[in-house]
Amino acid sequence: MKLAADRILSLLLLGLAAFVAVQAWQLEVPFSYDPVGPKAFPLILSGLLAILAIVLFVRPGASGEWPTGALLLRLLFTMAVLGVYAALFINLGFLVTTALVSIIIAWLFGAAPVKAVVGGLLLAVGSYLLFTYGLGISLPTGSWIEPLLGSN
Amino acid sequence: MFDFLIQGFGVALTPLNLGLAFLGALLGTLFGALPGIGPINGIAILMPLAYTLGLPAESALILLAGIYTGSEYGGRMSSILLNVPGDAGAVMTTLDGHPLAKKGLAGPALGLSAVSSFIGASVAILGLTLFAPLLAIVAVKFGPAEFFALMIFAFASMSAMMGKDPLKTLIGAVLGVLISTVGVDSGTGVLRFTFDMPELYDGIDFVVMIIGLFAVSEILLMLEHAFRHDQDGEMAPIGRVMVKMSEVLYCKWAILRSSVIGFVIGVLPGTGASVASAVAYTTEKRISDHDNSFGTGNMRGLAAPEAANNASAAGSFVPMLTLGIPGSGTTAILLGALMLYNINPGPMMFREQPMVVGGLIASLYIGNVMLLLLNLPLAGVFARVLQVPRWLLVPSVAILAFVGVYQLHSDLMAIYLMLAIGVFGYLLRKFGFSLAPVVLGFVLGGLMEENLRRALSISGGDVGILFQSNLSIGLWIAAALVVLVPMFAGKLKAKFLPAAKPS
Repeated sequence: MKLAADRILSLLLLGLAAFVAVQAWQLEVPFSYDPVGPKAFPLILSGLLAILAIVLFVRPGASGEWPTGALLLRLLFTMAVLGVYAALFINLGFLVTTALVSIIIAWLFGAAPVKAVVGGLLLAVGSYLLFTYGLGISLPTGSWIEPLLGSN
Repeated sequence: MFDFLIQGFGVALTPLNLGLAFLGALLGTLFGALPGIGPINGIAILMPLAYTLGLPAESALILLAGIYTGSEYGGRMSSILLNVPGDAGAVMTTLDGHPLAKKGLAGPALGLSAVSSFIGASVAILGLTLFAPLLAIVAVKFGPAEFFALMIFAFASMSAMMGKDPLKTLIGAVLGVLISTVGVDSGTGVLRFTFDMPELYDGIDFVVMIIGLFAVSEILLMLEHAFRHDQDGEMAPIGRVMVKMSEVLYCKWAILRSSVIGFVIGVLPGTGASVASAVAYTTEKRISDHDNSFGTGNMRGLAAPEAANNASAAGSFVPMLTLGIPGSGTTAILLGALMLYNINPGPMMFREQPMVVGGLIASLYIGNVMLLLLNLPLAGVFARVLQVPRWLLVPSVAILAFVGVYQLHSDLMAIYLMLAIGVFGYLLRKFGFSLAPVVLGFVLGGLMEENLRRALSISGGDVGILFQSNLSIGLWIAAALVVLVPMFAGKLKAKFLPAAKPS
């Protein structure tokens, strides 16, 4: 029998509840006039979470449709793209990273390559103009561009 | 007693705020119309923008509230035309709206639903104007013990009403509350769950949390959707959007009943548009479905949920403005937006921030009229938005999410955290959670702990204080009732309904 998704979830939640309880228990409380302190609330929550998790284990719902194979790869790839977007956002600057990421995402969503490139470039330039000039938000220009502009 | 409203119109009628109300209505209708971007996403994305643009609190709130009410209007379009609900509150609208469109009545369906949305919202805004000041007077009597009981009531009514999975609603709420405990404990200065990361000392930032939870997870879900279904359904031709007086009159009781239902459910803390429209639809089906035509394109079946979801949006402002307890997932986010402005939501807001409260309520009146005017003649234009291809829409969401977080924090950690929360949100949704309870838990968690601890330090640690006043006992009983009554009502109905079916 395949383990129902909800049962796995329930075990994860139990683990989380235990983790919270241990972490909260270890909090060092300095002297204070507060009779409750910082421990009690997280401990109550972890107890509640544990009870709910056990109920979930006993009465799991339907498992739903989980991504596998090619779809899972695509989802992971999308998250990776967004992660790289974040990593390069400041150093490479908004324009370049946004154009690249928009092109890749457009392509992932089934746009033809030419459309994806044109659309991605337009999105990047359009949103840059909108944010900088329309809304006065300063976006990262990228550290590589400053020497080219002969920074002053 | 209605001074606040006069003062509020003074605020709402300034050119800036009128413009923002219009912008909110326009953007809200667009966000509601686009499948996948509901009010919460729209507000989450624009909230940091409004804040960094330096808008004053009342103007920001007018813009964001406009988006909220506007998207309740917009959500119906893709429900009717594509059979894909534009947001959670518009799910019931598909049931009779899309069959009408298939019969070639898309135009009248859009028109009628716009009018019932308008009536629903109007009834509820009037209700808000009448009840909020009264409730605000009662609310001043709330001490920490009463607030704690009230929040328990909010979670109880949410888990009882949120339909399909009360257990997961509760788990989601607990997770949200847990996330709110990250950071410095305000009572003692102890660091909790920060794992030595200075970025977490102030707790998980509200904007990062909301954008991650909704916008980023939505990107993943849209990818999944695009992968499983090559194409969205055919769009029904719209024709002329018009309403006949006779159609509105045919639906008048359905609309009025549903407006009241929507308002009441909106006022209940924790329950919003999706619950309101579901209850209104089933009620209306029971009352006026004589020939079993609900679900096949009955005008009343369309009017009822649309009146209710707009009414609930306005109704959910009542607990938010008077008690500081959000009436729905979206108002939870508006509440968070107020906190960005260092406005402490709560019973004192009516007295201390009359500009904000009055301005907001007045702008709801103005925005509602704007929305009707926008949605009747321009429905065809908005409907064209539905044809924006996903491959342009999704990168736009990503850009807005990144810029939204970056402009508030200019910090890579915040963006990474947003992405991590996005994966968390995606997993939650795959496990069948709805995100509203998580947000509500996250927003209320801090207040809940604070009030519990304040109550117990008043009593010197005696838990009895939580059950001392009549008000808090009443709230505890109400919390128990909302959980227990539906359970027993379900059983009773199963027993008696076949024998005594109401005509």
